[in-house]
Amino acid sequence: MPQTAKPEKEGEIWAVGGGKGGTGKTFITSSLGTYLAQKGRRVILVDMDIGGANLHSFFGLDRPARSLTSFFETGATLSDLVVQTEIETMSLITGDIHSLSTESIRFSQKLKLFRQIMKLHAQNVIIDLGAGSHANTLDTFLIADKMIVVLAPEIIAIENMYHFIKNALFRRVKNILKDYGFKEIVQHVWDRREESGVKNIKDLIDHLKDGFPYIGTILDDELRNFQIYLILNMVRSNQDIQIGASIKSVLMKYLGVPIQYVGYVGYHDAVWRSVRERKPFMMNYLTTGCAKEIETLVENIVQARDIAVPGGLT
Amino acid sequence: MTRVDLGRYYVVLELPDGASLREVQNAYIRLKKLFTGPSITLTPLEEEFPKKKRQRILHEIEEAYLKLRAGLIESPAKAEGIPSQETDSRVPEENRLDEITFSGPVLRKIRERLGLTESVVCQELKMRTEFLRALEKERFEMLPQEPFLKGHLGIFARYLDLNPDRVVADYLRRYRAWKDKCPAAR
Repeated sequence: MPQTAKPEKEGEIWAVGGGKGGTGKTFITSSLGTYLAQKGRRVILVDMDIGGANLHSFFGLDRPARSLTSFFETGATLSDLVVQTEIETMSLITGDIHSLSTESIRFSQKLKLFRQIMKLHAQNVIIDLGAGSHANTLDTFLIADKMIVVLAPEIIAIENMYHFIKNALFRRVKNILKDYGFKEIVQHVWDRREESGVKNIKDLIDHLKDGFPYIGTILDDELRNFQIYLILNMVRSNQDIQIGASIKSVLMKYLGVPIQYVGYVGYHDAVWRSVRERKPFMMNYLTTGCAKEIETLVENIVQARDIAVPGGLT
Repeated sequence: MTRVDLGRYYVVLELPDGASLREVQNAYIRLKKLFTGPSITLTPLEEEFPKKKRQRILHEIEEAYLKLRAGLIESPAKAEGIPSQETDSRVPEENRLDEITFSGPVLRKIRERLGLTESVVCQELKMRTEFLRALEKERFEMLPQEPFLKGHLGIFARYLDLNPDRVVADYLRRYRAWKDKCPAAR
């Protein structure tokens, strides 16, 4: 698909992260993209799982000649790396496979990458993030218009996800205050956290708001957009489905950040067999059980609303 | 109590303004359970939620529930002019619920407020529809004898999350007054 040079800011960036590996981030990314593309939206998926990129295999593509490696090593332009998929309105920027690690990306490269992601010619750019809470991963997450978190209903995944969101929020707060020239204040409060009773990031924000009403207004304004969209994957029971609602409540009390529990995807043997065997299933998965679930996910993300949990939240 | 006053309690229970009493109850039960016991969603943050903090949260949840319940149960009774003892506007809000007399029509209003249809209640409580109607309309002559009536009232009151002792006492007072006036029923 030819990419014009015309910058288009109509495109909305979605980032899919969540901390733990193996929760199905790549599967969810490809599903969200497929659904949107089949609705006629122009979609570009970006595989940012540096070092563990496999999004292309979800579309039956071998390791393509063009990948993010060219961006980092030869300075190629991002829009030149776009590869067409079998779905007409969807294309893909494949990730780097082995030569890079997340930590080795230079600051200037990162900024350049973000600038070019924003200019990609698409209505939806969906970024598949790798596992972990590395600063570069968090920064990529934070440039998104829709910050999406995928987890499985098991304790380690939940723990990593809390950690991931906490770090993302902390980084956002620090960036905001740095932009306004208040960087030292955060450090100041943090250093004296014993005396002021600041134990976590929510306390820190509350403390800053109390002590510096002006900062409070800035933070309120800027953090209003800090909205997390939660997706539960590999759900096996009704009880699993309720976990999303519990996480929403816990995060509200813990970090004070708004969460939308946009939906869940059940555990489907066929899907996981295909993933394991690296068989492309995207073209026919829409006839399987998760089509309806994916549709609900996307519509709830677009509308920024919670899923209606069957049977009520009891 | 106005809707505005209830706003912050809705926030505590994570509900939109104006949610029904049924939604309030469900949210209360869910949140209370979540912050009481260990769960895979809370355990990873155990250090962030020490006992003291959880108790504070539970207290807020409890308070929000009681206030919302009082506000939501009381307002339909007032709006419909259902016979309750004269409410004095200077009486603190939380006491008002105590002044409602749980007559048949009041019980019906509360049931409707909870979004519970006759058929749902009858199915869940294994009651006959005619019995529920007679109970709510105070067609005393159609009701069973006192011990049975008492039992049914208790079940119904608990189902509506009302104090069963008070509901039974209020209702039986009215029932006995009718019986005294109507010798044939004795």
